[in-house]
Amino acid sequence: MAEENVIEMLHITKEFPGIIANDDITLQLRRGEIHALLGENGAGKSTLMSVLFGLYQPEAGVIKKDGREVKIHNPNDATALGIGMVHQHFKLIDVFTVLDNIILGAETTRAGFLRRKEARAKVEALSQRYGLKVDLDARVEDITVGMQQRVEILKMLYRDNEILIFDEPTAVLTPQEIDELMSTMKEFAKEGKSILFISHKLNEIMAVSDRVTVLRKGRHIGTVDTGSTSKQALSDMMVGRSVQLEVRKEPARPGEAVLSVRDFCVPSKAHRRNAVDHVSFDVRAGEILCVAGIDGNGQTELIYGLTGLEKSSGGCVTLCGEDISHASIRRRGAGMSHIPEDRHKHGLVLDFTLEQNLVLQQYREKRFQTGGFINRGAVREYAQRLIEQYDVRSGQGPATVARSMSGGNQQKAIIARELDREKPLVVAVQPTRGLDVGAIEHIHGQLVAERDKGRAVLLVSLELDEVMNLSDRILVMYEGRIVGEFDPKQTDVQELGLYMAGAKRMDGEKEGKGA
Amino acid sequence: MKEKWSALMEKDGAKSVAASLLSILIGLLVGCVIVTISGLSSAALGPGAVWDGIRLVLGGILSTGRDAAGGLTFGFNPANVGNMLFRATPLILTGLSVAVAFKTGLFNIGAPGQYLMGAAATLVTALSVPTASVPAPAVWLLAFLAGILAGALWGAIPGLLKALLNINEVLACIMTNWIAANLVTWIFDGSIWRNMEENGKTGYVYKTARNGVETAKWGLDAIFPGSQVNWGIIIAIALAAAVYILMTKTTMGYELVSCGSNRHAARYAGINDRRNIVLSMAIAGALAGAAAALYYLSGNTEFYWSTYQALPAVGFNGIPVALLAASNPIAIIFTGCFMSMLNIAGQQLTNLTGFNEYITDVVIAAIVYLSAFSLLIKMMLSGRKKHRVPAADGGPAADAGKEKGGGEA
Repeated sequence: MAEENVIEMLHITKEFPGIIANDDITLQLRRGEIHALLGENGAGKSTLMSVLFGLYQPEAGVIKKDGREVKIHNPNDATALGIGMVHQHFKLIDVFTVLDNIILGAETTRAGFLRRKEARAKVEALSQRYGLKVDLDARVEDITVGMQQRVEILKMLYRDNEILIFDEPTAVLTPQEIDELMSTMKEFAKEGKSILFISHKLNEIMAVSDRVTVLRKGRHIGTVDTGSTSKQALSDMMVGRSVQLEVRKEPARPGEAVLSVRDFCVPSKAHRRNAVDHVSFDVRAGEILCVAGIDGNGQTELIYGLTGLEKSSGGCVTLCGEDISHASIRRRGAGMSHIPEDRHKHGLVLDFTLEQNLVLQQYREKRFQTGGFINRGAVREYAQRLIEQYDVRSGQGPATVARSMSGGNQQKAIIARELDREKPLVVAVQPTRGLDVGAIEHIHGQLVAERDKGRAVLLVSLELDEVMNLSDRILVMYEGRIVGEFDPKQTDVQELGLYMAGAKRMDGEKEGKGA
Repeated sequence: MKEKWSALMEKDGAKSVAASLLSILIGLLVGCVIVTISGLSSAALGPGAVWDGIRLVLGGILSTGRDAAGGLTFGFNPANVGNMLFRATPLILTGLSVAVAFKTGLFNIGAPGQYLMGAAATLVTALSVPTASVPAPAVWLLAFLAGILAGALWGAIPGLLKALLNINEVLACIMTNWIAANLVTWIFDGSIWRNMEENGKTGYVYKTARNGVETAKWGLDAIFPGSQVNWGIIIAIALAAAVYILMTKTTMGYELVSCGSNRHAARYAGINDRRNIVLSMAIAGALAGAAAALYYLSGNTEFYWSTYQALPAVGFNGIPVALLAASNPIAIIFTGCFMSMLNIAGQQLTNLTGFNEYITDVVIAAIVYLSAFSLLIKMMLSGRKKHRVPAADGGPAADAGKEKGGGEA
């Protein structure tokens, strides 16, 4: 049974103008296995999965299902073959209920009328059986990202899919949710479903997969049994060179406080209470201060409040001795770089070219404009320098439209823009979210370099590995308050986890809720 | 232009042109079909008249009348071309008005109202500042600026409502259109500017020529004898170029477009998004006001002041002009001319055949209808590939579905 291939993708080649995304790739998925697909951004993982899901037609190669050659022209064909996919960016309709989203496209009807009752029973049964807790009547816009993902999984199960593709499923989840997902995936495999798991997180791949196929720059590098390989071996295969998995840095030599936050409050959009509730801390020159916490505990609002995207409702913020509590975004920007949490929403104008995006913060500076006219030569030159210096890869260089760039390179572009502004404070919110090992290594190195130049770095991260690796000091946020301060050398992930879940507080009092 | 400021624009450009041409072609075909059906079903017309009609729908601008034998003659007709340019002037400007708003993520359906306010301000200024004491060119300039200012203010209202109260600009524009229509009627009703001198005219304002205020012709009347064309068209073309430069080469344009493409990112970069929404609508309004000013300052055009029952079509026609041009200011010069060319063709149809001019209105309507689909046509032309071309991994594949729903409008 173990050797039976459910899906075979043989010698798949897919070209795009100027780039071969998949070059003669062969992937064999056995029944009941969890098969990880590992590769950097731009390695061709998503393209290969899109071919399998019928979104692209390959130029060469065949796909076989249970040994028989099949043609998959569109996602409907894929669904008919029992192939389901959880996309990295969920494909849900925000204003529909969870139930409606699950049955959408596969509705049971009688005489044109929806038969929600039958559907509900089926979904409820599935949800119970696999422990996928969802609120069927909640609207998708009101539920957490973790639950949205469970909805996507239920969608596949509802369609009785046997082959499940997970495209970077853990990028948006909290550590606890990741654990749940892993065990759900194992359960699926035990029942004979076959899983393709796209990731570049080595920990997860090692934990959950049976075999790993590694892609690099569109080529098939190798397929190995997870049991007979190691993290280091995999990452070397993926990147093509030896990779530094740990961040190497000297002990911090913090100087004076660059940013001082006192009794800071930011109102919540959803509730009456403050999302950030009387928070006080300093970020000193030459240190990386990390705010850790589970998503939704006020980190986003804290950064919005500090950068001016959201109005604060109390407290005082001092940047380099200047009170900026009520300053405009632009005035704050004079003293801080901001690598935003959401690169598509805040970080980039996706329809602008790379060079236009690279001067998004600086276009008004003298060197880029004369009398209100943009100096294109200077912009082009500057963009070219940043692209080279920060290794931003794109199809057409400075003239590439940002939307067409891969996520990792989009992020590199933002980081290039922000760090090159050379401001005393660097605010970085989840700077490595959804990026591959090589890019993460690069970005971490740059943040450490900023620190060593004597800049203050305020890092917000949901990834505990990153928090432990990178920071000189850790603050844990829970429900809008700072519940603990730690030295990464004297704490561990378990202890942080307790504080993040609200089970412990620094002042000693134990709270019964959470975790 | 050779700078590839935006590679997307470059690549998209060709597709936009193709999509627009396709819309135009289909529109003209519809016109021909209607000519054929109505011609063959009418006893008075018949196949010969149908052939004449089709030729005029397609080439009315070149029609020079009929020869002695009764056959249609074609050639360069300076009066037609001149009139086409004259009528294109306001269309180009209202097209620009809509396009500027489009580029900044707003839908300016308020051009008719802005146009009316511009017309009223222009006419009142041109007719009431005495040319005896102030030189006529100065009055002209004053009236022109008054029109622009009135349009800008009227456009700024929906902009303010959107920026401060987040009221949808389409709703606010529709409201302000009708407020303008009634306001203008009220301004002229019982005023001293009503034309009481010419018999049989009750609903019209005096021509500005009465006060000696006219747009200069400076040689254009020699090139296009017998037409109404004046330097207004040159001003319109200059404004189109100015808008192009503003939107693509200046920091102001950069701010406007970035607000339109991604308001959040613009805010993040310290750009005042609210200010830019107001600014964008004010510029749009100013252009619509300029359209009215140039049209009525020609000296021999009459303004029907009782506007409360109907909004000026030229305001709405800015929408197809902008859509056909894919909001490119330079292309708008041509689409504006094309729309007015159809108008001339309609006239020729009435003058020379038994068909009436409304057939070209149907052609225009069909094109308007299709131009709304030009985004769709563009997408069909580029196939499904376009959205997936660029990078290999991650973004494009995942975003492909999302992008399809997007588009500028």
